[in-house]
Amino acid sequence: MEILRQVRTLVTKEFLLEWRSKYALGGILLYVLSTVFIVYNGFIRVSPPTWNVLFWIISLFTSVNAVTKSFSSENGQRQLYYYSLMNPTAVIFSKVIYNSLLLILLNVLTYFVFGIIAGDPVRDKGLFFLAIFLGSIGMAVTFTFISAIANKARNASTLIAILGFPLIIPILVSLIKISANALGVITDTAVTQDVMTLLAIDAILLALAYILFPFLWRD
Amino acid sequence: MKRHWWKILGALLIAYALIAGLLIPLNTGILDIHPDNALLGEKINVQINAYNAHFDEANEIQVWLKLDSVHFLNGTDIKVQSNTEMTANFDLPSIGLANNRTSQSATLIVDNEIDGYALLPGALQISANKDSLALKSTAVWSNQLGQLHKNEKLTFPYRNILYETIRNLFYHVPLWFAMLIIFFISMIYSILYLRSKEKRHDHAAYALTQVGILYGILGLITGAIWAKWTWGAWWSFDVKQNMSAVAMLIYLAYMVLRSSFEDYEREARISSVYNIFAFTTLIPLLFVIPRLYDSLHPGNGGNPGFGGEDLDHTMRMVFYPAIIGFTLLGIWLANLSYRYLKLKETWIDRD
Repeated sequence: MEILRQVRTLVTKEFLLEWRSKYALGGILLYVLSTVFIVYNGFIRVSPPTWNVLFWIISLFTSVNAVTKSFSSENGQRQLYYYSLMNPTAVIFSKVIYNSLLLILLNVLTYFVFGIIAGDPVRDKGLFFLAIFLGSIGMAVTFTFISAIANKARNASTLIAILGFPLIIPILVSLIKISANALGVITDTAVTQDVMTLLAIDAILLALAYILFPFLWRD
Repeated sequence: MKRHWWKILGALLIAYALIAGLLIPLNTGILDIHPDNALLGEKINVQINAYNAHFDEANEIQVWLKLDSVHFLNGTDIKVQSNTEMTANFDLPSIGLANNRTSQSATLIVDNEIDGYALLPGALQISANKDSLALKSTAVWSNQLGQLHKNEKLTFPYRNILYETIRNLFYHVPLWFAMLIIFFISMIYSILYLRSKEKRHDHAAYALTQVGILYGILGLITGAIWAKWTWGAWWSFDVKQNMSAVAMLIYLAYMVLRSSFEDYEREARISSVYNIFAFTTLIPLLFVIPRLYDSLHPGNGGNPGFGGEDLDHTMRMVFYPAIIGFTLLGIWLANLSYRYLKLKETWIDRD
């Protein structure tokens, strides 16, 4: 499959770029640490319901910061170069895959740092990591797509927040509910249904990104 | 004229929904009774307050207590004080509660030949205890109800808590239905634009989105007013209320997005893409997420939906035309906005 090979090449390229310009990755890691620390200093004692919401708020802002640069960091000419070499679908997929992996890493890191500093109330680790996994994919798809849209407009950085935050709410709301189950804050017998809902939202967004991106990149 | 029939139809349906929805009276209902609890075997005198009743003019007033399908009790000494107030005596028998129960609620039935019958479920709580054992009553339950009258006039159902606000069903709910239909058509036009790159498709999508936002805001306002008088607050942190507000944010963002481009082709193309994305997230937002949480809205969080007894034939007669009317009016509004956009493009943005 030609497209899979292209996706693999592009994902490797993304990792390589990230690794070479260590300041970006270092910056985002430091961002996670300082946010966690600020939140901890603000609350000190964090009850499980608050922990749950704070974790996802931190995760949301980390995602915005980590993902939104996916299109703005590369200038128009270089993107044109990619599009002339590769299938545009491969470009969006590689960015989504790279961002999903990055967000999973960052969220797991946030979890450990937050867990060490503010205590770890998670009881059902498996469910919580499933939430991190699905949530990272959902946020990666939404914000990658939104950054592709906003990058075409004038005030890109404002637009990302305006366009992205309302669209992320369905994902965030179901994430908070699933992880509340994992924390034992609420007990819901229908948690599988919530996970399926989140999975369905992720799948729909991914399908949309696949269908709509070909209309987006060409100028 | 032939081309405008749908506009006339829309206006007529809205006029009909307003006139019929606001003028048809509510059915007779019982507001409350006092006292609302009694002991088995007790003789009680209850004060009954009704709504939209004509006790003064009626000749054959009957009052019944219904404990279950075979225990009925006729009220005696009915004294009418006004059209909506009266008192009646009940001579409660010493036995009759379902086996081993110490307390059971009875339904009050009020009937007359003008208003038909009205019910208040759970009107009187009847208890049995050692005090009630001391009361030796000779009264007995009757095993069937007397002949009741049926109200043949055109009325809307009376519901406690809702009262007259039940009429908002004809405006609040159709506004949301119409908004969804309009956003859906707008998405179709966005898809058409991406396929054809014809400006008129994008203008149509833009105009329809404007109307959809207007309807969404009106839906939020009518909902907040309804919530104030039934749930007790303008905004009660109900999940459906919140998600609707988020839906409005998504579409307001569409407006901001449209204004942040320099050349038209790019604006049309990218906002079409966003419009399709936005409508797709609207579906989980309004129909999936509210089901995961408890909601005060009918049909969510285990609440019964409007339907069955609540949405009777008289209400359907106004409700469905109102949906069609609001949709047609919305398309008309969008049509005006569309023509404005087209003129603006031809005469102002020409150079």
